[in-house]
Amino acid sequence: MRRILRRVMQNRGAVAGGVVLAVILVCAVAAPLIAPGDPMATRGRPLLPPGGQFPFGTDMLGRDVLAGIVHGARISLLIGVMSTFAAVLIGVTVGAIAGFFGGWVDEVLVRFTEFFQTIPSFVFAILLVAIMRPGLASIIIAIAVVTWPPIARLARSEFMSIRHREFVEAAVLSGVSQGRIIVTEVLPNAASPLIVVSSLMVATAILTESALSFLGLGDPNHISWGYMVGAARTVFRQAWWLSVFPGLAIALTVLAINLVGEGLNDALNPHLKGRIGA
Amino acid sequence: MHYVGFALQWLMKALAVVLAITVLNFLIVRLAPGDPAIVMAGEAGAADSQFLAQVRKDFGLDRPIYVQLATYVGKVLTLDLGRSYRTRRPVGDMLLERLPATLLLTGTAYIFALIVGALLGAIAAAKAHTFLDSVLTAVALVFYATPIFWVGLLLILVFSVQLGWLPPFGMHSLIPVKGTLWQMLDTLKHLVLPALTLGLFYVAVYVRLTRASMLDTASLEYVKTARAKGLPEWRVLTAHILRTALIPIITFAGMQAGNLVGGAIVVETVFAWPGIGRLAFDALFQRDYNILLGVFLISALMVVFFNMLTDLAVRVADPRVGSRT
Amino acid sequence: MKTSLSRSGSCLAVALALVGLVLFEAGHAAAQPTRGGTLNSTLWPEPPGIVIGIHLNAPTLLPSSKIFEGLLTYDFDLKPQPMLAETWQVSSDGLTYTFHLRHNVNWHDGKPFTSKDVVFSLTKFIPEVHPRSRPTFQRADVSAPDDYTVVLKLKEPYGPMIRSLDVISAPIVPAHIYEGTNYRDNPANRHPIGTGPFKFDEWKSGQYIHLVRNNDYWQKGKPYLDDIYYRFIPDSASRALALEQGEVQLATQNDIELVDVARLKKLPNLRVDTKGWEWGSPISWLEMNLRRAPFKDVRFRKAVMYALDRNFIRDSIFFGMAKVATGPIHSSSPFYTSDVPTYPYDPQKAKALLDEMGLKPDANGIRVKVSLLGLPYGELWDRLSQYIKQALGQVGIEVTLEPSDVAGWGNRIANWDVDMSTTYLTTLSDPALGVARTYISENQKKGVLFTNTSGYSNPEVDRLFAEAAKEPDQAKRKELYTKVQKILVDDVALAWLVELQWPTIYDARLKNVIHNGLGPNDNFADVYFEK
Repeated sequence: MRRILRRVMQNRGAVAGGVVLAVILVCAVAAPLIAPGDPMATRGRPLLPPGGQFPFGTDMLGRDVLAGIVHGARISLLIGVMSTFAAVLIGVTVGAIAGFFGGWVDEVLVRFTEFFQTIPSFVFAILLVAIMRPGLASIIIAIAVVTWPPIARLARSEFMSIRHREFVEAAVLSGVSQGRIIVTEVLPNAASPLIVVSSLMVATAILTESALSFLGLGDPNHISWGYMVGAARTVFRQAWWLSVFPGLAIALTVLAINLVGEGLNDALNPHLKGRIGA
Repeated sequence: MHYVGFALQWLMKALAVVLAITVLNFLIVRLAPGDPAIVMAGEAGAADSQFLAQVRKDFGLDRPIYVQLATYVGKVLTLDLGRSYRTRRPVGDMLLERLPATLLLTGTAYIFALIVGALLGAIAAAKAHTFLDSVLTAVALVFYATPIFWVGLLLILVFSVQLGWLPPFGMHSLIPVKGTLWQMLDTLKHLVLPALTLGLFYVAVYVRLTRASMLDTASLEYVKTARAKGLPEWRVLTAHILRTALIPIITFAGMQAGNLVGGAIVVETVFAWPGIGRLAFDALFQRDYNILLGVFLISALMVVFFNMLTDLAVRVADPRVGSRT
Repeated sequence: MKTSLSRSGSCLAVALALVGLVLFEAGHAAAQPTRGGTLNSTLWPEPPGIVIGIHLNAPTLLPSSKIFEGLLTYDFDLKPQPMLAETWQVSSDGLTYTFHLRHNVNWHDGKPFTSKDVVFSLTKFIPEVHPRSRPTFQRADVSAPDDYTVVLKLKEPYGPMIRSLDVISAPIVPAHIYEGTNYRDNPANRHPIGTGPFKFDEWKSGQYIHLVRNNDYWQKGKPYLDDIYYRFIPDSASRALALEQGEVQLATQNDIELVDVARLKKLPNLRVDTKGWEWGSPISWLEMNLRRAPFKDVRFRKAVMYALDRNFIRDSIFFGMAKVATGPIHSSSPFYTSDVPTYPYDPQKAKALLDEMGLKPDANGIRVKVSLLGLPYGELWDRLSQYIKQALGQVGIEVTLEPSDVAGWGNRIANWDVDMSTTYLTTLSDPALGVARTYISENQKKGVLFTNTSGYSNPEVDRLFAEAAKEPDQAKRKELYTKVQKILVDDVALAWLVELQWPTIYDARLKNVIHNGLGPNDNFADVYFEK
């Protein structure tokens, strides 16, 4: 573990990303301290440019943009992490079963996975949000449902290749139950690429959530970065700060996560360097 | 003989897949609360139960779900995609109207991204760990991380609002341009910003993918062997590295090609581009089921088709590849 | 001598006369509208159709009101003006309406317009497709004693009848095209034939609808415009830009975000007009489901009224383009009264009422939790929902916003599956047409939108509305409606917010854009570009 951490620290990009991510996390956690009160309450005159009392300006309802950014971090990170967690849960389960058991189980699950990949993923996400009562939960579920297939495919190929390794065959021969084998032997070896992909997926989930909120499909009870950019569209010519700051926040967060993810990738799989692509 | 059998087998499988997808989509789409009758009532600012009943009867929405499903599937098998509830025009017509715009946008963006991205990625790989490589990788990462809608808005802000070089929205100028050549140029002018917005993200993807793939291949045993044998670098590059390195790129490109139809909703929204993604988006909110299902069907067909194409291309690129996952 | 003088005298006279004639003509010409010019207007979203009745949404009305006409139209005071009907009489008992139709009117395909078309439209077409006007015309027995006379016989008097004959409520469509066909599927729907000043030319999907001058129009010399393009521009910022740069010369209703309108108003080449909605009379409100607690209690509803600052809503959300609503009837209506209880912004009073109800604040200051299903028609309504959440939060009512799309919103409200919702409705030119439907007990129809979805039920109100609809005497009607308004406002049947005054923004050279109660939905026969 320490060895992995040391390798990550050697990667300058990962360190930079880690620092930025830490800052954002602190902002998210300390949001009520940095910007106390309800971020959606009117604080000043509408459409004030950045400066003075409002370092990032105010929006159409006179809300503090800085407060929105800091509180929005919570939502973006929460949705990013939760939806990735759910996607990984579903994906690994499906992929593991398919890869480990093979045969017709594999065939059925592969078809099942393929079905989800034929629907244009973003349209599907929108459809799911429309079907369920919109809110944080439905966005998380929608993103998870749309993003699990690649994880399943990765898990499947990993499990398929590992399954035939000698130590697994030995375990099977000595009568260890299949469940135990999966958990104690296969999973730890398949973990590295999965970890990397999951971390990158958090970034993608944040991007997806921001796109959904931008289109007006987010949860209006909580302020989020994508929502801020979307709400600012009607005045984006006059009030550039309403679009620029939230967008910057999204970009920085996703960038940071990617840098850290790549650092993890390089550290965990030096021989697989670059195998996990986009 | 062998190929005909293979093609037929593939065709049957593809049809079965598409059919299953159609049925599932049909059911999922109906799960959304409300129906087109309520949407029309909402817009009309007036309704009575007779109106709603009439509309529902007209659309066949009053019949049991399995009857509706059977009717729809039957129609699809005869290549009839039904009619839009809203405009009563055949869905096929409406899709054909909007499809070219989307294909123009996504096609341009993807080809641009593939060529430029693969090229830059190859350069980055060839000059790995140098300053140039760092710059390219960093820039790619930035464009990968930035949300597409934001890039679009910024481009409009800079190139349309501030500089006034390019139009900020739409596919045609409002004042119609005369002459085919001028019309094409007009469309081209409108295409630049949206295609760039969509393209920049995918350039980043291809740069990273190509670089990683080539580096990965370059360190493989048989490449090292070829080098050790004394083959010139460019031969090593083309005969050995490129073929294998191309596989993940082709795979990814194939996946993206299937996304040609629905992948541009956000860009179409930001730039008011009259494409099919936006049509599907609007159709969802108007509960115009037939249009939505029509778009899903086209998308499914494209994914299945490009999956096959990709499989073939991969086999051609590297005949050693059996049935890789 | 005498002869030459008289000859030069008569020459002079003739010369003077000629000069006078020329001067007279010149002066007269300056006052004449100039013929010619293409009008580009925005239209969004792209309408589903272009025949009024089959579709009734705003983007359908705008172009199709230039193609079709009704028997009458209405001025700013909602007084009927002749259109396809030249003159009319109403019998003293209010049971018989006789309309004398214009002669020499032709349909766009050249066939003559006769009473046959009116009878068909009022007895077959409208009752079949038009949900709003169906109940109106089902009351009437329509007959045509000759080619240019139509008689409506009612079983009992119906005050609103004379105000239900505009092109939007009662479009006259050609019998020879629609009779015996499936009206909704008729191919003429994509290439409509009307009697109006503009003919349909082309509809390029995703781009525009093109109308051209009807050279055979019954008002000789009109319309002045050569043609009209309705351009579909999906993005409001782009529409504003197009207007500024002169690429379009007209935008209305929701086309331009209100915050932009304030800016556009200052430009010298544009004019903004908020009149023209007298016929539509749109009012927005916050509706509470009276079947659920705490909305059942009138004190809660009053508390809500006191907690909302309607002036703020008018100024900061509608940017001044609205008027605070005092009750169920629009202020432009002849039946409006301001003599009703008022609810000025007073959060203290709101808190006191909630205390009285027994809803005391808990440790976090929350007295009660409710949810709000906001109207999902765009940015403006989102901000209104956000404001309501904030304002009610100040008095201890915690509001959870429920996002939805139109279908979901409509579905839940129609099925009474909602706590609170926001909406707006055109209350139309007569309370019996557009107002009563929201408050009378018998109009509680589950599954149908724009009925009495709140569940308000008051037999006195029912009685007053029923009587007022039948009452032929206008003064007596006014008395009845005054009583109804007092009761409804005292009861806070709904939390009325503002009367909408949608801005119509147009090029300063355009004249007669808004010149009657139908506003931009007028037929535009009189619109011209001043040179």
